[in-house]
Formats: sequence, structure tokens, C-alpha cells
Amino acid sequence: MEIETRKILNKSFTGTGWLSIALLAGALVVFLAPIVVRGMGAFVFRSTVEFRVMQDDIFERGNKDKLEEDLRKARAAREPVYEKLEAFEQELEEMSIVDRLEYRDSYDELRNAVRELLGPAPGEERASLPRNRYGQTRMDRAGHSLHHLLYIETYDYSDPTRMGELIYEPRSQEFEGTALEGLFEYAENNFEAMMRPRTEFYWQFLIDQPVDSNIFGGIWPAILGTFYLTLGAIIFAVPMGVLSAIYLVEYAADNWMVSLLRTFVSTLAGVPSIVFGLFGLAFFINTIGVSESKSVLAGSLTLGLLILPMVIRSSEEAIRAVPMEYKEASLGLGAGKWRTVLTVILPSALPGIITGIIISMGRAAGETAPIIFTAAVSVGRALKPSQVFTNPTPALPWNIYNLATEHEMVDEIRHVQFGMVLTLIVLVLLLNMTAIVLRARISKKLKG
Amino acid sequence: MKENEQNNYISCKNGNPASIDGLVMSERARRIRRGGGMLMHLFLLLITASSAIAVLFIFFYIGRDAIPFFQSRGFVEFFSKNNWYPSSENARFGALAIFYGSGIVALASILIAVPVGVAASVCLSDILSFKARQIAKPIIEILAAIPSVAYGFFALVLLAPMMQNMGGLLLAVVTTVFLAPVTLIVLILFSDIASSKFRPTLRRHMRIALMIGGGVMGIIALFALFSKLAAIQITSGTNALNVSIILAIMALPTIVSVAEDALQAAGSGLREGSYAMGATRAETMIRVVIPAASSGICAAVILGFMRAIGETMVVWMASGNAAQIPQPWYNLLEPVRTLTATIAGDMGEADHITGADRYHVLFAMGLCLLVISFVLNLLSEWAVMRSRKKMRGE
Repeated sequence: MEIETRKILNKSFTGTGWLSIALLAGALVVFLAPIVVRGMGAFVFRSTVEFRVMQDDIFERGNKDKLEEDLRKARAAREPVYEKLEAFEQELEEMSIVDRLEYRDSYDELRNAVRELLGPAPGEERASLPRNRYGQTRMDRAGHSLHHLLYIETYDYSDPTRMGELIYEPRSQEFEGTALEGLFEYAENNFEAMMRPRTEFYWQFLIDQPVDSNIFGGIWPAILGTFYLTLGAIIFAVPMGVLSAIYLVEYAADNWMVSLLRTFVSTLAGVPSIVFGLFGLAFFINTIGVSESKSVLAGSLTLGLLILPMVIRSSEEAIRAVPMEYKEASLGLGAGKWRTVLTVILPSALPGIITGIIISMGRAAGETAPIIFTAAVSVGRALKPSQVFTNPTPALPWNIYNLATEHEMVDEIRHVQFGMVLTLIVLVLLLNMTAIVLRARISKKLKG
Repeated sequence: MKENEQNNYISCKNGNPASIDGLVMSERARRIRRGGGMLMHLFLLLITASSAIAVLFIFFYIGRDAIPFFQSRGFVEFFSKNNWYPSSENARFGALAIFYGSGIVALASILIAVPVGVAASVCLSDILSFKARQIAKPIIEILAAIPSVAYGFFALVLLAPMMQNMGGLLLAVVTTVFLAPVTLIVLILFSDIASSKFRPTLRRHMRIALMIGGGVMGIIALFALFSKLAAIQITSGTNALNVSIILAIMALPTIVSVAEDALQAAGSGLREGSYAMGATRAETMIRVVIPAASSGICAAVILGFMRAIGETMVVWMASGNAAQIPQPWYNLLEPVRTLTATIAGDMGEADHITGADRYHVLFAMGLCLLVISFVLNLLSEWAVMRSRKKMRGE
């Protein structure tokens, strides 16, 4: 080969390496950016007056006087809408039956659209479901509702070879020449006056109870559930894991039994997480019956088993990294083996062990599959510490799945889903960052 | 003199603290200490054994609930028939399509992840400076740390609609962007080899001519491919390709870190020898270091495959969950269903009492997953051991 070609190939080889790293970084950015941006939307957003009413109603939060003032102005701005609707109803009364039938469906649809945007009309009785008590609480959702009020969605099937194409027709066409004609223009022009937007910093998203299956409120029970499960998993996995690591490094002879034990541990590390879930169900719940049915305890045990190999491996590495001289010095001074382990090896391996534990915590907090059958429920209140042995709990990972796939208003609560994902990711990444920083300090220390 | 010794002995017996007594233990103390040590040893062995034996428990309890299914249904239908109707009146449990779904998704993700992963591990071990590595490594760690449900959410809520709306174009752009440099490299290589048959005076001209000719052909081929891909309409964004891409990203950290370890373990002697022979870095890596680390890289690929086949949330959320074998078999744009997603999704409906088969079939699937991952794990361990032996110099 020509030397030139070899040079070019060498450069392109280097370039490929760089490219692959860039690709990984790019994947991370492409993944994190929308989740961070849209996840922040759960915390910082433009709220409507309905949001403030809801907050006052449910959480008794906010300035009452200001709210009254806001509400009065909003009602004043909304008045013409309801007046026009009333006027149209009068008109309907005077129409012939045929005409009335013609308008009935489209009028009902309009009423619903208005209700969706502004909430129940003044004087309407209090709805039983919280979701029906308020209009749109967020400006982005209110924008959608306004669009729904102004336009009708239809599909154009004129080209039979393609899928029907979505088109929007102005709703005002349907009501030409009636009392409602001006309503649409009025709603569009006075949108802000009716909703009275304000920038809100809703940090209480983290500590509020969810209301009406997460349509309003926060995600506190899920956060607390994740905390319990992670803590439980650590409590089970750490003593077992660290003691096993001490045995494997300091005590184990190099024989077939120990290598068998090692194979078992690495097999455990390779078991798919959903199989842990099945095992938790079959063993912890159905066989030894740690609880009647799903519970935090059963979930913690399952998660603990899942992270056990990680804890063993990282502790093993940390213990192995302790310089031989430390151990020799201690043994030379006449300390026994166990004393050496307790007073010399463990303290110097501790930062490394803690790093491993923190990373395992991140793993336990984010795992979903093992807790599906053992601990997680979609709707539930925050548990008291005394209830963890018997009760199932909502947990961030499971609720993300649940809200994103099984919720009846999936599209309306995207902000909650993104907020949850962001919370979980920030939680896990914080843990991992701590571990990374800790490890950097250890390696600095070991270098001297 | 004698008296002196006697004195010494006495003082020793009386337990004078600073003298020899601290060093020489009495027989009894020694026995206690040894006994304590033995006890400690036993205790630690017990703990270790119990955490290791957990895996046997898993096999036992999954197996115990899986056996009733095989007893009542046998093996043939489950493994070889493609009719998954677990909840119909006349229930059928032919899970072939589900096995196929798990396999194709994991395979596709590995096909995506391995080239990128090996390139990245080479870059990490041999190309990047120490400082750049300090930045690159956390990126990979963060990719590994992100919970699978977050990946699944991304696949379902962001990637799937994007694929559905502009999937063809996206596919075309990505493929072209990747194939263009590859084509260029192949072209350079090809024109060099082809022109080496000619006289040295002609060689240069021949090479340029070949490159231009090949370049035109390459551009035409790429353009044809682009327009063909861009015309593809993806009917559902939740399909095997979507899942494979995400699984590839999830498998990458495992592949990169294990492969990097293997490359590092190949040692600097090998590299220096190759450099001394006048090889470039690319030649050194491709023809010396990577072959030497091949078993370690194999282990990395196997571990990545395990990660992909055992993953639940992503496939459950974004694979479409249709128990079918796509037509044609390699069509990744069709929805599929995997073992893990079936277990996760059906357990809620499967009643232990009324639909016994329906409940136990999920354990049968779990058992299959367990066996698959067990075998793969042994394979990867074997590969790692082989590479270690190789590094030690056979």
C-alpha cells in the first residue's frame, strides 16, 4: 500500500474513534435535552387563573385577596362568552324543531369546548371529579383548548391511496348568522384576559399529593415510595454484599468451591430484571409470604437481590485496591486477621465501597421490572414508615410507565410524565455524580 | 544468672504489659483466637454462600412454577408454533413469534452497538489523551446509569412519533451520513489496491482515475439508496427498529467498558512491537491489538446481547407488542413482542387460580430467559478466561 493511503486510513481510523465517542455524547444530549426542557415544564410554566383556584381549593395555597381580584377580572372577561351562549339558547327556543336538531350536536360540542377551556359555567353545580371542577390550569394546555374551541378537526379522505389528512375548519362557519357568530373572535382576542396567565414556579410538584390520578397535584407518594424501596434494597444488599466481598478477597482459598461461588455471583448479575420480579412474586410473596400481597418489603428484598452482585463486585474491587503494605503492617504488629480487616482494610476501602453502594442505589431507584409484581401500584397515598411491611406503594419508575401508557388522559398530562422522568433522572444522576466525584478523589488520594 | 532467668519468666507470667507477653500468646489465648478466626471464616463463608445460592433459589422457584405449564402443554407448541392466544376460550400458547421478537430485537441492537462500541473502546484506550478520557468516561457512565423506564419513555413519547411522521427521511439521512464516509474509505482502499498492479509511473494517474470513477458510482448508489429509503412510510412508530436503537444505546456502555478492559489488557508490549515494525496506529489496532483482545471483545458483545435480551421496560413500552413474525423476516419496521414484555404485560391479567396455564406460561418464559442468560454468561466468562490466559502468554 502507498504510504499516503496508509496515512489517510490511519487518520480516518482515528476519526472513526472520535466519531463514535461523539455519537455517544450526541445520543446523551438528544436524549436528555427534550426530557430536561419539557420536564422543567412541570415546575416552571405559565399558569392560568384556574390553576390558582385549584391550588387554593385543594392545597389552600396562595394569596386569597389577590385570587379574588384575579378571579373577578377573569369572570368579567368571560361574561360575554356566557352571554352569547345564553343568547343563542334563546334563539334555539324560537327556532323550528328541524333547525334546532340541526344545531343541537354542534352546539353541544361547542359547550364542551368552552367547558374544557374555562371550566364549569357560573352557577353550575360542583362536579364530583376534580378534573371537571376547573378549566385549563396551564397556558400551553389552554392554547390547545382554545384551538379546539375555534376549529373543528376533520379528515380529508379525497385521495383514496393515502391515509386521511387532518384538516382544521373554523367552527364559526357552523354558527354563521346566529348570536354565536362573534363568540369565536371574542374568545381569540380576549384569551389572555379570560385566563389571566402568570409565570408559576411550582416546586411543590415534588411534595404534593396527586389529585384525581395525577391530573393535578404532585408526585410525592411516588418519590417517597422510590426512597423506601431504595433504602430497603440497600439495607438488605449492603451487609450481605460487603461481607461476601471480604470473604472473597481476604479469606477465600483458590479452590473449585470458591470459583463456583464466583460463577454463581456473576450468574446472578446476569439474570434479567423481569425474572427477579417473577422470583420475588413466586418466592417472597407466594412461598415465604413476607406480606399478603405486594409490599414495599417484598419489593425491597427483590431489588436488594438484584443489586447484590453489583455491591459484591464493587466492594471486592475496593478491598483489592487497598495496598498490600497496610495489611502486612497490621499483621506484622500482631493484629489478627479479623482485626486487620475491621480496623485497617475496611476503613481504607470504605470510600470505594461507598462509591459502589451509591451506584447500586441509583440502579435500585430506577429499576421497574422487579417491582411490577412485588411492590408497585399506580394510585396510592404516601406511606408511613410503619406501613412499609404490608402496603404496596407508588414508585417513580412504575408511575412513569403507568402514566405514559395506561392513563386515560395520556396527552393531557404529558407535563406530569416529563416532570416525573426528569425527577427520576436527576435523582439517579445526582447519585452517580456523587460516585464519580468520590471516585476521582479516591484515585487522587491513592496516587498520593 | 539462673535467678535472673527465673525472674524474667515470672514477670512474664505475671503479665508485664510491655515485655514479650504481647508477642507470645498463651496456648489458651491462641486457641481462642484460632477458634474465633475459624468461626469468623465460617460465618463469612455462610454469608457468601447464601448470596451465591440465591441464584439457585431463583432457578428453583422459577422452574417450580414453570413445570406445570410444560406438564399440561408439552414443549412442541410453545417452542415451535406461532399462535399466541393465551386468553381465548381454546387457549393456544405457541410462542415462536415472541422468541423471534426477543431475538431479532437483541440481534439488531447488537448490530448497531458493536461497531460503535468497539470504535469507542479503541478510542478510549488508545486515541484519547488522559484528560479527554476523564470527560468521555462519565458520558458513558451516565448513559449506563439512566433508568430503563426513562429510555422507554423517550422511545415511546419522543422517538416513536418522530419515526411515524418522518421516519423514511430520518432513515435515509442517518444511513447516508454513515455510509458516505465508509464508502469513501472503501474507495481509497480499493483504488490503492487496484492500482498497485500498474507500473509506478502510471500508478498515481490510475489511482486518481479509479477514485473519480468509483466516486461517481458511489454517489449514484448512495443517492439511489437515499431516495429509496426516503420513500418508506412507517405505519407505526412503535416497532422493532425503534426499540433496537434504544437497546443499542443501553447496551453500548457495557460493550465499551468490557471491550476497553480487554484492549488495555493486551498490553503496551504488543503495541510497541507493532509500531517498531513501522505500522501505523490503525494497522496496529486492527491487525495486532484487536485480534489479541478478540476473546475479551467477544465477552463484551455477549454481555451487551444479554443486556438487550433481558431488557423489559423499553420493549414493553415501544415495541408495539404484536405477537407476529414480521414479513419479510428482517423487516424491522413492524411491531414485535418479546419475552420480557409478555411477562410484564400479561402477569396483571393472568390469574393464578382460574387461568393456571396462563400464569405458568409466563414462568416458562422466565425460565427460558434465565437459561439463555445463564448460558450466555458462562460463554462470556469462558471468553474472559481465555483472553486472560492468552495475555499471560498461553
